[in-house]
Order: sequence, then structure tokens, then C-alpha cells
Amino acid sequence: MFQFTRFIGLAIKNLRRRMIRTALTISGVALAVAVAVSLGGFMLGYKGAIDKSIEMLGFQVMIMAKGCPYEAATMMLKGGTGLIYLPSDTYDKVKSDPDIESITPIFVGIAQKEGSGIRDEASQEKSFTIISGIDAPSFMTMKPWMKFKGGPGFEGGRWFSAGSKDEVVIGFEAAEYEQRKVGDIFYASITPAGSMTPVRHEFKVVGILERTGTQDDGTVFMPIDTAREYFNRPNQLTILGIKLKEFNQFKMHEFESRWLKLPEVQVVGLQQVKNTLVALVATAQTMIAAVAAIAVIVALIGVINTILMSVYERTGEIGIMKALGARRRDIFELIWLETLVICLLGALLGCLLAMLGTGAVEKAIKSLANLGVNGSIVNITPGVLGYAVLGAVILGFLGGLYPAWRAASMRPVDAIREGAV
Amino acid sequence: MSFGRFSIIGIGRAAFFAIGCTLSNPAEDLKYLFPDMTSYKEDLKEFPKLADGKAQFQALRERLGSDLDPIYETYETPYTIYYVFKNSKKIGLVHGVNVPGKGGVIQVFLSVDPASAQVKKFFFQRLESSAADQLRSKEFRNQFDGVSLADFYKHDYYVAAKSKTSVDKIAKITPPKIDPSGRQDYDATIRGIRKNLLLLDFFVYDRKFEPFFERAKQKAKQ
Repeated sequence: MFQFTRFIGLAIKNLRRRMIRTALTISGVALAVAVAVSLGGFMLGYKGAIDKSIEMLGFQVMIMAKGCPYEAATMMLKGGTGLIYLPSDTYDKVKSDPDIESITPIFVGIAQKEGSGIRDEASQEKSFTIISGIDAPSFMTMKPWMKFKGGPGFEGGRWFSAGSKDEVVIGFEAAEYEQRKVGDIFYASITPAGSMTPVRHEFKVVGILERTGTQDDGTVFMPIDTAREYFNRPNQLTILGIKLKEFNQFKMHEFESRWLKLPEVQVVGLQQVKNTLVALVATAQTMIAAVAAIAVIVALIGVINTILMSVYERTGEIGIMKALGARRRDIFELIWLETLVICLLGALLGCLLAMLGTGAVEKAIKSLANLGVNGSIVNITPGVLGYAVLGAVILGFLGGLYPAWRAASMRPVDAIREGAV
Repeated sequence: MSFGRFSIIGIGRAAFFAIGCTLSNPAEDLKYLFPDMTSYKEDLKEFPKLADGKAQFQALRERLGSDLDPIYETYETPYTIYYVFKNSKKIGLVHGVNVPGKGGVIQVFLSVDPASAQVKKFFFQRLESSAADQLRSKEFRNQFDGVSLADFYKHDYYVAAKSKTSVDKIAKITPPKIDPSGRQDYDATIRGIRKNLLLLDFFVYDRKFEPFFERAKQKAKQ
């Protein structure tokens, strides 16, 4: 044990003798580990985000108009703008299905908002908001966790009355962006189907919802009939959200085959949504993993190179150590430990970098691709960090083998002679 | 989707935020207002950071003559003042405030003359209103050019004295032609301009218009 401690001290001392080279090598390892940790965190976090988003939808199955399943998936999870509608009588046909525990119809539309800015023409630059027409009682059956925000400015929040034409409930983030309180007026310009001219409507905000971490946070809710009337789509729906009494693959298949007979609809199970999203990101993840693997290999080559150079530079010194009685095993362990120290320090620094850079990585990924989920998509856990450090140490052990063997194999006389040249 | 920029400063663990009012794109916006600008500086002011913050906040409420909104006009609300420079010369001062309107917050910005504290330009950043077009019109906004906080205090004095005079700049301001549903936002706008000038007087001008306030106050007591 004492000898091991002494060897560690000696290894660190040797590394400090070539500070810049050591620092650069450690940086290389750190970068490779940071990439690997971020990737691991992304894989874990993205899966978690999908699971959470799906769970927070409140239903297991949805019926929507035929189209791309990916669009369907992202529309439900993140709120989309590629809206296709289904006939509203689908609801009447499906709602009596014996396997359904609860069902809720949803109508989604996009409304224009006045732009903001200090320039005179700013009000002409429009922004948009997602309007969701819902049947509040059945919607709440699906999402019992939705609560109204309280506190100053938000007291007395409630759902709109069923037939109301001028009341809305606003999701947490939409209220924050729109800077609305309960009792404020909410303006929205809606272009009715078949018309080119938007009609401005004035609504009273009757409730602001607590944050849910889902697409509902960015949504403005109004009664489904009002939404359909204003969008001039009285006989259309966007989605039917369904919870089955018993949810398993067999039941899902049965349910699907019963309703796929309707020509214009697709039945989408949320497991299918999940698979679609995971499959879409899998390719990108494989590419990133390949980059991470290359980074690790390059870093490892860098470590081997650094240690080999150090061995060659210290040929004379190693020869003297051997002449003074150092065994092959001692030299081997010393060089091996140097490799290990570099890899361990690099791994720890890389983990730190990855943790500090989580926000930036998440922002970069989200800016590059629409992943179809809300919330955090990079989740760096102690397990991920542990595996990264362990991986770096194992690679260090392997990478140190050749330089350590090379140093240990030197003959004292040759080594002293070569070192003296 | 584009939204007006607003800064949020979390206070404690509870869902309690102080929401300030900042320019969406300071560099671009200030260059638009001051084409000669070479640089600008932001100065963040907060009542809690002032030695006599509580008293100043109370003074603001008194001089504004109305209650402050519990969300957008709190004690913790941060205020950002933009100083605009042409080389080393200070050529402008820009400040915005949130005021509650009928359709949510209205963001009222003023560009004032750094020396005289008179309004050089008044504009909105965020305004959702049935009277938005009329309130944003140049005809309405240009009426505030040259107005200072002293004019608001003088107006209070003349109102208290029940006298009409041609020097009352505020009384001369003509509201735009708006239907009654937009009146609340007009009133909020006037309140926003006054609040903006008050805050500048507190934070930048060391309350130089205070004598006018005292005079109006005395008159109101009589």
C-alpha cells in the first residue's frame, strides 16, 4: 500500500514535469468524456421526456385524421400547426365503444396575435397562439392534475361555462408570455375557414393554469363549440383522446381494428407515438455516438502518445532506476499509473464540463431539431457519470499497457547509454 | 412565435416573480431611435437595493395617485434604464414600464433628453388593445414631445386650483378617437407615461421635480 502511494506521488510528479503536455492530454480526455456524458444524458433524458409527455397527455389512444404519424405525435406532444381535421360525427360513433373508459374531443386552431416592438410597423407583424377547443369536464377527467394558479392576480380561476362565447383559460407559459391575469381581456384574431380576413375576438381570462410541463402550458383553452364556430368548422374535430378500460397490446389491436374501418381516421396508440419519436431520434443518436466514439479513440491515442514520448524522454532515467534496483514490475506500474492519472483527471474534468454545459447542450439540440417533446431532454445522472469515469479508467488501463511494457522492457545498460546520447 | 421580452427575477421558492420591462432587442431598438448612437449602457434599478427603498416605493405610489399592480408593479420589480452615447457624449436616455391595461400589460417607453428630462419620443413596445391603432398613431404620441414630470405636477396643481390655463400641457393633450372599450387602455397609457417619468425622476434626476409635487400637494390640501 505504501509503495502504491509512493508510486502515485511519483507518477504525479512526473506528469507535473511536463505540465503543458499533461494539461493538453487531460483536456483531450475531458472533451471526449464530456461528449460521451452529454450523449448518455441526452439518451436518458430524451426517453424520460417522451415518457413524461405521453403520461401527461392523460390518454393512451387518440383518433385523428389520416396523415403522417410523426406529425400526429408531435402535434399531440408539443402542439403543432399542421392541422388536419376529422368529421365531428366520429365522436358520436366512437364514444359508445364498450372498451372506452373515457373520451374527450379536442379542436385545435391557430389564432393571430398583435405583434410587439417599438417600431411604428410593429403592430403589423403578427405572432400566433394555439387555441384548443375542449369539453372541460371530459378533458379534466383525462388530466385531473391540471390546477388553477392562485395568488395575487390569479384568484378565482375557473373553467369557462360550456356555452360561453367570450371566456378563455390560459396555460401557464402562455399567460406568462402574454402577461395576463385572471380578469384581463385576451384578444385573438381568428381567420374562419373559407375566409381570408381574420376576425378579432375579445375574451375574458377566467383562469390561469398551473405549470404542467406539457404542451398545455402554451395553450389557450376555450369551449369546443365556440372554437369550432369562430374557426368556421362546426362539424370538425382535431383529435379524440381516449382512455381504455383495459390497456394492453391485445385490447389496443382490437380497438384499432374496430375503428380503422372509418375511412378518414387513424388510431394512434401512444406506445406507437413513443416508438415513432424514439426511432426518429435513434439515427441522430447513433451519429452522435459515432462522433463520441471517435473523440474517445483520438483522446486515447493522445494519451498513449504522451506517455510514450515521456517514456522515450526518460530512457536514461528509467535505466538508472533499474540499475539502482527497480524491478520490471515497478517501472511497469509507475508508467501505468501515469496513464491512469491522466485518464482519471480527464474523466472528472469531462464530467464537470458536461454538467456545466447541460443547458447549452439542451439548447443546441432543441435549436437543431424539433424533438416533439417539452421539458428537459438531457438528464445527467450519477449513474451516467459513474459509467463515464469507469470507462475512462478502463481505457486508461488498456492504453497504458504498451507504454508501460515498453518502459519495463528496457535493459538498464542500453537505457542509460541511449539516455546519455 | 414572437413575444415582447420581459425579464423575470425569481424571489424565493414560491411562484412569485417580479416582472420588469426591457427592450426586446436593445442594440437594434436603440440604433433605430438614435441613428448616431455608438454605444449604450444598461443600468438596472430596484427599490429593494436602495437605502430608502420602502419609502421611495411609497412615494411613487403617492405621486402616481393610484394603487400599484400586485404583479407588474411590485416593490421587487426591476427597472432598466438605457443610456445612449455618441462616442463619449450622452445623447439619450430610454426607459420602459409595465402598466396593466385591459388586454394585459402595456409596455410604455420614453426616450427623454438626458439634461432636461423632457420627453423626446414616446412609444409602445407591447400594446394589445381595441384602441391599439389610435394609441400607436403618431398624432397622439407626438403630443407628448417636450412634456416633463413637472407638467404632470403642474396639471395636478391646476386641477386642484380648478383653473384652466394655456400653460397646462397635459390638459391640452387630445385623446385619440376611440370607442369606450379602449378608454381603459388610454388611461393606462397616461398613467404609464407619468409612472415612467416618476421613476426616472427617482432613479436618475434625484427628484428634481419634487418642488412641483409639493406645490400641487399643498394646493390639493387647501
